[in-house]
Amino acid sequence: MEDKVLTRNFGLENLYKVDVYLQQGGYQALKKALKEMTPGQVTEEVKNASLRGRGGAGFPAGMKWSFVPQKVDQPKLLCVNADEGEPGTFKDRYILSHNPHLLIEGIVITAFAVGIHTAYIYIRGEYEAVAQRLEAAIAEAYQKSFLGKNILERGFELDLFVHRGAGAYICGEETALLESLEGKRGHPRLKPPFPASVGLFQCPTVINNVETLANVPFIIGKGARWFMDHGLPRDGGTRIFGVSGPVVRPGIYELAVGTSLREIIFSHAGGLKPGKKLKAVIPGGMSAPILRADEIDIKMDYESLAAAGSMLGSAAVIVIDEETPIVDVLLKVAKFYSHESCGQCTPCRIGTSWIYKIIRRLAAGGGERGDVDELVRLASNIKGKTLCPMGDAAAMPIISLAQKFRTELESSLKNQ
Amino acid sequence: MIKIVIDNKPVEAQEGQTILKAAQQAGIPIPHLCYHPAFPPEGSCRICLVEIEGLPKLELACSTVVREAMKISTQTPRVRESRRGVLEFLLADHPLDCPICDKAGDCNLQDYFQEYGAFESAFKEAKERREKKIKIGNNLILDRERCVLCTRCVRFLTDTTKTQELGVFRRGIRSEISTYDAELVNNNYSGNLVDLCPVGAITDAQFRFKTRTWFLVPAESICPLCSQGCNIYLDYHPGFPRVSGTAKIYRIRPRLNPDVNDHWICDYGRGGYLSLLSDRWDKLVWRKGDRESVLIWEKALQILAEKIRTLHVIKRTAKIALILSSWLTNEELFLIKKIFKDDLHVEKIFFADPKPGTGDGFLLQPERAPNVRGAKEIGFALNSARLEDLSQHTDILIIFGPFLAELFSTAELKTVFDSVGTKVLITSRASGLESLVDFVLPASGMAEKSGTLTNKNGKIQSFSAVCPSCGDSRPEWSVLVDLAKELKVNARYYSLLANPGAIFRELAKEIAFFRKEPLWIS
Repeated sequence: MEDKVLTRNFGLENLYKVDVYLQQGGYQALKKALKEMTPGQVTEEVKNASLRGRGGAGFPAGMKWSFVPQKVDQPKLLCVNADEGEPGTFKDRYILSHNPHLLIEGIVITAFAVGIHTAYIYIRGEYEAVAQRLEAAIAEAYQKSFLGKNILERGFELDLFVHRGAGAYICGEETALLESLEGKRGHPRLKPPFPASVGLFQCPTVINNVETLANVPFIIGKGARWFMDHGLPRDGGTRIFGVSGPVVRPGIYELAVGTSLREIIFSHAGGLKPGKKLKAVIPGGMSAPILRADEIDIKMDYESLAAAGSMLGSAAVIVIDEETPIVDVLLKVAKFYSHESCGQCTPCRIGTSWIYKIIRRLAAGGGERGDVDELVRLASNIKGKTLCPMGDAAAMPIISLAQKFRTELESSLKNQ
Repeated sequence: MIKIVIDNKPVEAQEGQTILKAAQQAGIPIPHLCYHPAFPPEGSCRICLVEIEGLPKLELACSTVVREAMKISTQTPRVRESRRGVLEFLLADHPLDCPICDKAGDCNLQDYFQEYGAFESAFKEAKERREKKIKIGNNLILDRERCVLCTRCVRFLTDTTKTQELGVFRRGIRSEISTYDAELVNNNYSGNLVDLCPVGAITDAQFRFKTRTWFLVPAESICPLCSQGCNIYLDYHPGFPRVSGTAKIYRIRPRLNPDVNDHWICDYGRGGYLSLLSDRWDKLVWRKGDRESVLIWEKALQILAEKIRTLHVIKRTAKIALILSSWLTNEELFLIKKIFKDDLHVEKIFFADPKPGTGDGFLLQPERAPNVRGAKEIGFALNSARLEDLSQHTDILIIFGPFLAELFSTAELKTVFDSVGTKVLITSRASGLESLVDFVLPASGMAEKSGTLTNKNGKIQSFSAVCPSCGDSRPEWSVLVDLAKELKVNARYYSLLANPGAIFRELAKEIAFFRKEPLWIS
């Protein structure tokens, strides 16, 4: 498919090995950046490409880099967020296991642009095989002088380390990730200061998602204009949509930013399995507010989804069919967030647990009149009140599920 | 200075100041649980959220730094609703055992509920059950059901003592404060955890279930157990009118003084001073041979004055020896200097102080007396008492304080004392010396008198009587003034010194060191 950029060669055997990657034109963008461009020009190109963060928040990547102070006494650091914990999301895993050198190339170019000499990849603990493959790729890159001292004999130096997480969702939040990387409890930090000024080990730090950095070699290799042509003016490039649920072909689909949700589910993923009917879709990972079946004629980009009261998040499309009771969806969502709350701040720690207890009672048939309103009220007391974005992530799906499927939820209550 | 507006009131704030501090300075309270002025903002309790004009979300008052022309609202329905929401969450799992909680009456959570909550509980689920009586230190009990996870205790042990005995363990609703394995909180500042805890989660094993906080009257005082001079509160129960013996100091807490002790006091002072407060000698005794007679103060002072005056008249005051203590106040030491050095020219003046201990490099000093510096500045040489000094040609020996008993054994002292004509002991504590002397004059304890002390850095600090003098006891300064009047050497001068304030003014007039700051509030 012509839209494919990141996943273009994923079918190729042994793409994860450096020789195959080089045969496919790998590390050419790095050569171009190091030999023909200044760091400022690299950053400028990425800014012009309107590359937005692929981790969930969608912050413009080039702008993030330029927040790092130019002249500081401390070293500047790069952290790659490969924690990929948002339920329904598995895109980074594909990049890491099929094409680790693409990420490494993106990391080196980014480090060159920002003036960074040490980078870390924080990978979720469950990705053991992926981490091993990544380590092997890094070893190859050192051998070929794409990492280490005097990269490509241009005098640029970068060391890259892989750090494996221990399985906490919260460590995907960038400041909790930093704490965990420092060997502490994965508790989010109070912002400001932002990581760009005070980050890992108190040093200015850039934190980017795997997919974000994997796009960088294409922007440098083919130019910002080429990249923009694959997406939207304020949201360049493609997105890897991960489709899961009872569809004919679940999996990843790399498509232009702005492809419609209906197209993703019914053309690319082959629609629902025979005999199943669409009930609802969670369009951007579990924390994104749910869309009803009649709301899927929507462009999958940050702004269109925000206008519809949901979000693109990690572009993980979770399909729910008619047979699935909404209370079961609620139960899964509530159990997950109650389990994954780090416990640091009050509303998330106690609110997620309270909500889970109510939903557990509801699912067991003990629901009472007023419970649905109570869920919305409690979730609203979490939303916007917590230390890190996880509060919102936990509250938004509860509110949207309760509001959009109130009739179904209330039909099961006692005392009707 | 930065000009901001809080609740429509123009307020001046300092550059870099947080909203919470600026509001506090302007007399606008903002509720907070995890924030404590001794530590950087934590931002985890979420009860201090306020509205800032132009910002979509509520922002933390404890960590948001003020900007010029910032408009802040702390009482809008949205802010109050948010506080109520946080309280509702905190109380959902709270055991609500205020009737048996030491913190009741003194508890931030209770206060905030009165002000911002006051709702009917909507929580219909089962409360989390947690351990309620965990020994986390020699004197500390942790109740995990009451804990609001503000982590002040963890941060104190991380930032201040750097001993790190406590941490947060497990996650989410199961998060809990705990020691690492069975290692207890073991440092000289552990008592501060009780004061730091905004709720009743960490309680003092000594204070537990002894009284209710609303009976206690906090009185400002100074800890006398070392030369640091930490500022403290003595929490005094004035007693129930019809129940005798109920008046008592139940608790010692630190009192903020950034120059001396910041927010803290050490366990040595906290526990040590509390036990001293109840360890009192309060009987006036005159012992002749084996017979003990009870005396009244006037008579005792007449007898003593007569003995001293006789030696003075025949110019034999060299036969008088004094043993002083650095536990005496500046005023008392000054009176002793005036009476015995200046008026009577007594030369044998020695000191008996508690043996020095080891300092801990923070607040606790090796000098275990509160007024060593004061004694030096008043002009005493602080020669430690030696047995041979006392035994030679002494007719009258006057001992202030119980510390001679710490320096010498009873047998040693008995031998020396046998050759001394009249032995007088002025003490507030029993030490064994009482049975070796002819007169025991009961002195008021530190909490029963007023005066000033000079700490090791030369800071002069005043303190006032917290409770009435116990039994027959009287403050040393008043005993000295009355004795001086009886001596009739310079009676007019002493008759004007009716209180420690007047004595301090004389002291400041005479010795420049004490003229530093007008601190005496009479």
